[in-house]
Amino acid sequence: MEKNSTKNLILTLSIIGIISALLLTFVYQWTSPYIQANQAENQRKAINEVLSGAETIKQVEKDGETFYEGYSADGQRIGVAYKNSGGGYNGIIELMIGFDIENQKIFRISVLSHEETPGLGARITEQEFKSNFVNKPFGQYQVVKTPAQSELDVEAISGATISSVRTTRIIQDAVTKITKAYGGGK
Amino acid sequence: MAVDFKELFGDFKNGLWNENPIIRLVIGMCPTLAVTNSTENGLAMGLATAFVLIMSEIVISLIKNLIPANVRIPSFILIIASFVTFTDYFLKAFFPAIAASLSIFIPLIVVNCLILGRQEAFASKNPVHRAIADGIGMGLGFTWVLTLLGAIREFFGMGSIMGIQLLGAWYRPMVIMVLPAGAFLTLGILVGIMNLISREG
Repeated sequence: MEKNSTKNLILTLSIIGIISALLLTFVYQWTSPYIQANQAENQRKAINEVLSGAETIKQVEKDGETFYEGYSADGQRIGVAYKNSGGGYNGIIELMIGFDIENQKIFRISVLSHEETPGLGARITEQEFKSNFVNKPFGQYQVVKTPAQSELDVEAISGATISSVRTTRIIQDAVTKITKAYGGGK
Repeated sequence: MAVDFKELFGDFKNGLWNENPIIRLVIGMCPTLAVTNSTENGLAMGLATAFVLIMSEIVISLIKNLIPANVRIPSFILIIASFVTFTDYFLKAFFPAIAASLSIFIPLIVVNCLILGRQEAFASKNPVHRAIADGIGMGLGFTWVLTLLGAIREFFGMGSIMGIQLLGAWYRPMVIMVLPAGAFLTLGILVGIMNLISREG
């Protein structure tokens, strides 16, 4: 049989394709529990990070949205964490945001996943940017390129204005949702 | 078949300097320009690419006589893609931090012309032991240049190396170095310096 016959070409590619697919199936089955565990672990860590001091976390459904309520050891509600996502510069940005409902402010934010440019937009995960939202009161946030003047200002990362604006937009959206679900404070 | 160690060493050394993929052949530019904005990213990207390169060179060198010439390119791509997918899952499962920082560039190793280029130019024409030597040489050659580029750009762009702050607050970072333009500038200067060295030597 001639080596370059059509039958031979199809056969070769099919065999390589089948072997590759088989091997990758095993790799997928082997790694996916670890990948899922990593993601679950990340989410748990993120909730603990944004609701510091919470002993127990309760998952609550409200208006079709999932909220994570954090309670202290003596049963007091410390705050509520909410996972929100939206488009960034390259892909989806997923954030965990901790809210202090009583005082109408954000505790802290944590970035669960993103596809921003490494070294630029990816710096939304760094403390320097995240500190913008520590104890931030609810309101209309303004992204600025200079050090923040008012308490609603958010200082953008230099070279990554779009990532900064989009992240702020996701947080703004989360604030709207949490105010709707939990009402205006007390 | 006697193994000629001198020849093997030549194949290995080839990738490190004489035919270094980045500064000599100037191939594989997509990850070179995109992810070298920090030392750590450069190193991780280099090692991931080297792994895929070595593994696919071994496989292709082993089955080179079974693949009809007309479908050799799609066959190479299938084999490379399998190893890339493996690397992607593996990093996500066991090194989530590295996977997160390189994100989209790991799957993009498939289209790195360094890898396909070496299969076509070397692995499909030479025995397995030479293919391994070539893979390791080219892989390490790619890694060291990527790491150096990352180090230079991180140093000037953020004042740090491997995330460790070296320059104090007095240093005003040259943001352009971590932006895409900085990759072109650094690479151009690096290739120029390498040419100068080899011309004199």
